[in-house]
Amino acid sequence: MNSNLKKINIYAIYLGAIILILPLIAFFINAFSFRWFYPQVIPKELSLQAWVRLKLIPKSGQRSFEGFIDLWASNPAVIKALINSLTIGFLVTVVSIIIALPAARVLGLLNFRFKKLIIFIMVSPTILPPIAFVLGLNINFISLGFSGSFLGVCLVHLVPIMPYVVLTMTGIFANYNPDFEHQARTLGANKTKTFFLITLPAIAPGMVVAALFAFLVSWSQYLLTFLIGAGKVMTLPLLVFSTASSGNPALTAAISIIFIFPAILILFFTSKFVSGESGATSGFGKI
Amino acid sequence: MSDLKIINLVKNFQGMNRPAVNNVNLDINSGELVAFLGPSGCGKTTILKMITGLFDPDNGDITLDDKTLLTTPTEKRGVVMVFQNYLLFPYMNVNENVGFALKMKGIEQSIIDTKVREMLDLVKLPDIGLRKPKQLSGGQQQRVALARALIATPRLLLLDEPLSNLDAHLRDEMRELIVTIQKKLNVTTIFVTHDQEEAVLLADKIALIFDGELQNYTSPKNYYERPKNTKAAKFFGGVNFIKTKKNNNQLESELGNLIYDGNNIDELEIENIVTIRPENIKISDKDEYDHNSFKGLIKSVIFSGTHTRYKILIKNIELECSLQSVGINNIKENDEIYVHLPKNKIWGMND
Amino acid sequence: MGGERLKIILSLTPPLLIIITLFFGGILYGLLQSLGYQPAIGKYDINFSAYYNVLFSERYARMFWTGLGLNLWVSFASTFLAAVFALFAALAIRKTFFAKTICNFIYSLNLPMPHLVVAVGMIFVFSQSGLLARFASQLGFINSPGEFPVLVRDKYGFGIILAYIWKEAAFFFIILMSVLQSLGENFEELAQSLGANKWQRFRYVILPLVMPNLFSASIIVFAFSFGAYEVPALLGVIYPQMLPVMAFEFFLNPDLNARSEGMALSIIIALIVMILVIIYFWLTQAKIRKD
Ligand SMILES: Nc1ncnc2c1ncn2[C@@H]1O[C@H](COP(=O)(O)OP(=O)(O)OP(=O)(O)O)[C@@H](O)[C@H]1O
Ligand SMILES: [Mg+2]
Repeated sequence: MNSNLKKINIYAIYLGAIILILPLIAFFINAFSFRWFYPQVIPKELSLQAWVRLKLIPKSGQRSFEGFIDLWASNPAVIKALINSLTIGFLVTVVSIIIALPAARVLGLLNFRFKKLIIFIMVSPTILPPIAFVLGLNINFISLGFSGSFLGVCLVHLVPIMPYVVLTMTGIFANYNPDFEHQARTLGANKTKTFFLITLPAIAPGMVVAALFAFLVSWSQYLLTFLIGAGKVMTLPLLVFSTASSGNPALTAAISIIFIFPAILILFFTSKFVSGESGATSGFGKI
Repeated sequence: MSDLKIINLVKNFQGMNRPAVNNVNLDINSGELVAFLGPSGCGKTTILKMITGLFDPDNGDITLDDKTLLTTPTEKRGVVMVFQNYLLFPYMNVNENVGFALKMKGIEQSIIDTKVREMLDLVKLPDIGLRKPKQLSGGQQQRVALARALIATPRLLLLDEPLSNLDAHLRDEMRELIVTIQKKLNVTTIFVTHDQEEAVLLADKIALIFDGELQNYTSPKNYYERPKNTKAAKFFGGVNFIKTKKNNNQLESELGNLIYDGNNIDELEIENIVTIRPENIKISDKDEYDHNSFKGLIKSVIFSGTHTRYKILIKNIELECSLQSVGINNIKENDEIYVHLPKNKIWGMND
Repeated sequence: MGGERLKIILSLTPPLLIIITLFFGGILYGLLQSLGYQPAIGKYDINFSAYYNVLFSERYARMFWTGLGLNLWVSFASTFLAAVFALFAALAIRKTFFAKTICNFIYSLNLPMPHLVVAVGMIFVFSQSGLLARFASQLGFINSPGEFPVLVRDKYGFGIILAYIWKEAAFFFIILMSVLQSLGENFEELAQSLGANKWQRFRYVILPLVMPNLFSASIIVFAFSFGAYEVPALLGVIYPQMLPVMAFEFFLNPDLNARSEGMALSIIIALIVMILVIIYFWLTQAKIRKD
């Protein structure tokens, strides 16, 4: 009886797993099929039409190396959005890590007055919804001239990312022994060498995970980019949203696949670090 | 060569109602091995960290060869500290750990390699150079930490509780190793411990610290025979304390007058305290002593192997005496006996 | 000591400055606008008419209160169901079995997945011409797409709830797996040796041990699903409409009064989230104290 129960359990897990990846399967069928009409489950013919229409793959007959280069050099919308998303994500991540590093160190290693209050202020953007601040900020940015600018979008992305990075890195420093640095100093390492040879290697694994997920948070922002970018800064989520609203499933699926690719890649490489305790997870609500 | 002077050193921490280190003065001579002894939290590590420059003192000065250290950054002081829990850099192997200080000086790798091998031989750990710290036992880690500290021939070596994380057997071995190496390299060394026996076995001099204050600074032998105050005497197992009043060169006590031979008679205040080690008290059932002889009553007899401890009551004062067990088993509880406190064995202290 | 203090201040200022100016500054500015303070169009007086309009006016009251109802329903249902689903998955998966690593990966897969994509995925799977409808038709359960139940862009918010379950179950799952892993099976074995059956071990051993983490994770999920825009924007209907979508559309309305009302609505959403989180904390803290 017990072993029967176990079997049922395992089949339930397999079933759950299949259900969970149904959307992914649907994305791929939609993106690589042609005239996938109801009620077909398996498409009759495969096709790259969606990718051709997005100008990601050249028309058949021109699919040579030069063909790809020429096509991509013509700067199609998806490539432009992709580059924007990557640039913003990269900039915001680097800036937030640099800003968070000293703050997290202080919060993780020292005790002082108002520490609780400061942490509270720092994490409030993870609880309160973005719509609460972005509408007001939008008006403000318009008057400051940040609206519709790349810089404005980067700034507003810092709001959901900063708390996440500070919190995760505070967790790293809470388990960090600064005496290692002291040891290096008495052995003759100056401050710079100590940072690069001792501190950085010790915090690097946690920091890389924090950075990758900070990047994903920026990568996934729709509302903030839409409002502050004012239609002038096009990123992938904006493209996904507008294509999805206009209702062409093949195009939507193709862009979505590009959009989720980094997410899956990052999960794959970090899965052994991602655990509830690492604190890295706490930011996912925001993706 | 490397004389260390600690002058009026003070350090306060937020949230402590007394200074962590309170006006400490110490002179340490070149080549000496000095122990900082005291209970947990008394400020030992804090003093070491001020010597290395990891903490800045609130007041006072620290000089090495009569030049102040305070204006020199940590890495240029030539003072190396070995921390309480070894702190081997986890992602470097043993060779890289030991060679760290030389690498920081920008020395050529081939020279570093030779030096590292020499140091590992010195701490009796050849052949483990490629291992990571995790793959070493506690004792091995301790030795690697020592080798790493010694490689750049520091002017001053600071060891923070070097033996506390080792089991009893390893501790004996490491103790010998430390003394041998220290004498061989003749490096001025301070080590921290809260084990009085360890301090006695290792150190040329012991600095006894309570609550951030230096209580006594002298040789181990003196702590037994000529402690500076009752606190110091008690920390080293002193149990017999007699209040006396100085009158010319005599000490008047409840027992009667004590004849005193100690050379510090002039420094004693009127009211003072006299102590004597239990093993220096003599007892006899006959009245056979020519001075400092008092009649007392045996309260209890405790046999403890080679020695037997007697508690003796003389008037209202209880003294403890410890005699070799062989041949004196004729003294029993409630016997009346004569107690002798030899004039050259009693020691007076101001308190 | 003075040096240390300076260090603390210098280190904390930059991130605090970002949060305070952009986040709290944005809220404050929104608050001012919602109170009618709009220097851009020459309005400087402060009044509560935008709030009154949203909450009680004939034009908006019905929209608002049904929207609030939908919001509460969606947030509670999706938080609860995602947590339950994840709890059972985590309990089942921690035992070793064939393809455990792959299952583990699949169950965590939605964690880094953007909400937007999950919402699109729901359309592909659950709409009347989606994958499930096709299966149903192939198996002969339905004859035309119209017979398949409306699960996305439906007025009960099913599609939105499904999307949140999809996405947040992975979040709960990861947290539960790491708690269960760090606990090991010692407690359960102990309870078993004391005579606890399977249900009792779940109820009296596992549940209390994972509860604190489950509580804090559910605060995050609840607050997020209450205030997020993308998923209801893609999977919702015009009426009833979830509040964040409503606020956003008010705001984009060319009528400047509607803009104040959008601001007011966004402030109301933030207030409700805050109040619910505080109540939630208070309840769970009281419960933890009682235990
Ligand atoms: N960085 C610090 N900030 C605040 N207080 C400190 C700091 N370092 C030490 N203290 C306090 O100063 C006192 C002395 O600490 P110290 O580490 O010097 O003691 P110790 O003698 O080395 O003790 P142990 O034998 O336990 O290592 C302790 O009360 C400790 O709590
Ligand atoms: Mg210490």
